[in-house]
Amino acid sequence: MAYRVQTGVIGAAIMPHITGDERALEEILYDVTQEALRDAGLTIEDIDGIVVGANDQYDGRAISIMMASGSVGGVDRDILSTPSGGEHAFVMGALRVACGQYRTQLVLAWSPTEASSLAEVQRLAADPYFHRRLPQDELGAHAMQATALQAAVPGVDGLAQKVLEKNRRNGAKAYPDMVGNGPLPGPIRYPLAPEMSAAPVTGAVALVLASADFARERGREAAWIAGMGWATEPAFIGDRKLTEAPALQEAARQAYAEAGITNPVGAIDLAEVADPTPYQELLAYEALGLAPRANWAAKLGDGTFGPGGSLPVNLSGGALSLNPVYCTGLIRIAEIARQVLGRAGPHQHKNAATGLAHAASGDAMQYNTVVILRREQGVSA
Amino acid sequence: MNPRVGIIGIGQSAFRAKRDDASYPDLVREATKLAMEDAKLEFDDIEAIVYSLSPDAMVGIGNAERLGIDAVGARNKRFLRINTGGATGISSVAAAYYHVAAGACDVVLTAGADKVGECGDSQTVLNKIWDPIYERPLPLGTITMLAMSAIRYMHKYGMTEEDMAQVVVKNRWQAAKNPKAHLRKQTTVDEVFASRMISWPVKLFDCCPQSSGGGAMVLASEKYIKDRKLDAVWITGVGHCSETYYIGDRMGRGYTADHADAYALEHSFKRAYQMAGITDPRRQIHVAELYAPFSNTEFHSIEAAGLAKLGESPAMMREGDFRIGGAIPVNPSGGVLCTNAIAVTAMIRVAEIALQVAGRAGEHQVKGAKLGVAIGYCGDHQFFGTMVVEA
Amino acid sequence: MELLKRKETWNITYTHALGETASWFYVQLRDHGKIYGKRDAKSGRVLVPPRAFSDQTLEPTTDWVEVGPGGVIETFTIVYEEFNGLPPPPYAFGYVMLDGADTAIGGFFKGVELADGKAAAEKLKVGTRVTTKFADRRIGDVLDFWFERSGK
Repeated sequence: MAYRVQTGVIGAAIMPHITGDERALEEILYDVTQEALRDAGLTIEDIDGIVVGANDQYDGRAISIMMASGSVGGVDRDILSTPSGGEHAFVMGALRVACGQYRTQLVLAWSPTEASSLAEVQRLAADPYFHRRLPQDELGAHAMQATALQAAVPGVDGLAQKVLEKNRRNGAKAYPDMVGNGPLPGPIRYPLAPEMSAAPVTGAVALVLASADFARERGREAAWIAGMGWATEPAFIGDRKLTEAPALQEAARQAYAEAGITNPVGAIDLAEVADPTPYQELLAYEALGLAPRANWAAKLGDGTFGPGGSLPVNLSGGALSLNPVYCTGLIRIAEIARQVLGRAGPHQHKNAATGLAHAASGDAMQYNTVVILRREQGVSA
Repeated sequence: MNPRVGIIGIGQSAFRAKRDDASYPDLVREATKLAMEDAKLEFDDIEAIVYSLSPDAMVGIGNAERLGIDAVGARNKRFLRINTGGATGISSVAAAYYHVAAGACDVVLTAGADKVGECGDSQTVLNKIWDPIYERPLPLGTITMLAMSAIRYMHKYGMTEEDMAQVVVKNRWQAAKNPKAHLRKQTTVDEVFASRMISWPVKLFDCCPQSSGGGAMVLASEKYIKDRKLDAVWITGVGHCSETYYIGDRMGRGYTADHADAYALEHSFKRAYQMAGITDPRRQIHVAELYAPFSNTEFHSIEAAGLAKLGESPAMMREGDFRIGGAIPVNPSGGVLCTNAIAVTAMIRVAEIALQVAGRAGEHQVKGAKLGVAIGYCGDHQFFGTMVVEA
Repeated sequence: MELLKRKETWNITYTHALGETASWFYVQLRDHGKIYGKRDAKSGRVLVPPRAFSDQTLEPTTDWVEVGPGGVIETFTIVYEEFNGLPPPPYAFGYVMLDGADTAIGGFFKGVELADGKAAAEKLKVGTRVTTKFADRRIGDVLDFWFERSGK
């Protein structure tokens, strides 16, 4: 399918690790909105509509869009909410611009740490019919996926360790003040060693999307959406084969088809992928067509996916470095946008003409979104 | 030229207080099946799904849309969920509309369900929509908050409790003609007055019920519809708008929105009307499904839609202008006052308008209706969605 | 057909950061029994309760303004129904525009006989003047104050 109107990212603000109690959540959202607008060179008056991705249970509010709306410029403006995932706010925002009825969209996601237990919050997602009695949270699900991969891929633990080290080194370079001596380790979930996930932190992220006409009129550079795909796994983990990621494959297929990409390895300069633990990143290499499992060892060994390689993955350090759980997906997209715009900061890649962002939410990469951003505008349909 | 997006399938449960026979995903499946049968499609034909679900706490499952994935056939497909409180249903239809209008998909399903009756107390959940910084300790809930809107509307325009009761009588009379409605028993002004006072001036009969059931719709592109020669009605206008979160800012001095009125709803209509080419609502609109969970709110919704001047709709209600057979029937299905499965209620408003303009509304059909409007209403009457549907 | 059910309760506690603006407001309330609003410089409106920015103009708020203790009822309701987790009825609450403020703040109304709804509604009607009463022992919470009719 061809999108009606070409859409691109013209600004972004990433706050992957917010500390201190000086600001209420709404004040944080105000700040991230103002920063994204500044980065895009716009004021709120230029914003036609807003989409937020927020989870009521993380926020402690029954309809989180209500209180958030004021902070992000929602008064007297068209605003929607996609609680399924922060990255879904990007999808919806992009569709709204692409349909020609909105010239710009502000999209945001955030992840507070005010709940007494995020594990308890996540556990509420288990159905009350069969699974609520189990201590099923997201990290537990990611761990189960690791167990499954251990059985299917000999030596996978060593590869996971390499991914972890790569991302931590990247994170220390990209966000030196925040990553510091290394993030606090996450809770223990066999077979994951504690440092195989980072402890949850508070974060927020905002992007500004615009139509090609708007960007041209205002003289704004953009990271153009060349392809976008999204798909979901079924709900019950028991219905899935955790050693595979068919929904991610499907999301990638949609995105590659739109972007005219047949072989991603030649076409993509860098990628940000979901890495709540290193095992998900490994699976993403395969599902995205970057490296089948038989080649994981080789590609990690020869540095292909490292910062100096031909397809660096997670130059930002990923969620393994900074883990604002709920908005890590949208942050992956924002990181690639900034790379393509040449505004990524210390971890700017010298050749970021085409970037791929993979955002995942839920248990063991349940929801998957793939966005391909390009510096070159290309032809709109 | 705005692309036309058509509605080719509609499904809704027969809403009831409780559905002990069905789990939450079962209800979603029930409505989905009805919509797919109506559209004569198989699941393989659906390219994307927009899932309609408002506060998770109502169904008691965090991110409950995940449980609905199989019910809507979303495995390995495009899937996302919308939550805009009470307006979720209409926002979901709008989100599905954007999928098609953007050129991303030709056929999109939107579906959801609610089991409000299973939640221990919906007002306790809804108290959590208020700001924990300043307002959570106050006993705010949707009933009290909209009772306060009634107080201001009475003060501003002289509306009476009897005017409110007239809305209930009209809607129950209309719901009696709608086999899908929850409360179908007709009532009288005396009975409304005799029902117990909940929150001055709102009485039990002035309140919506807690309903359980599902809703689903299938949308398609104009090309898809023309290529297959399908029957369809068309979404020609879509808009959302929000006002300030703080109720106290909708009064006092220098406010833009009065809590008595529905300012953001009026602005939401502006966008939808502009898209649809509606310049004279009273003349061009034949039927309206206006989300009104409490009787008094039907008045400010009618006025925000431009169907009456501010403060004038109670008099017009007394004249019978808004009942089936009157000048502009409002809520011929019985409306939210007679059925409220929150996660899909605003979708049902669109579904009912679609049925009306297609001439498929059965006993509650408004004769000759070819163009209608639907609205969704969220939270502390802060956020609104609007849609124009025509034959 | 035996139909089964399962009871589930959500049990999560949240510790919400109030931020500097709300914290200052509550400290004044707790320690001095005073209520303050904050001015939105762009529109000039004094927002009560105070916020760090105005959602209308998206500008930061500037100076603090003491408001009340007198004020005017902007809206109210009287609750007669019992709801889980909310106070036992009957009780009256609503919004008051304190003198010096441009927006209204929520609070309980006390000192009015509530048994007869119509009579009570007349006593609390929009425009009625009230005064703010403060609890002797305050903890820094909106329930540290309430409103009573002042007849002035």
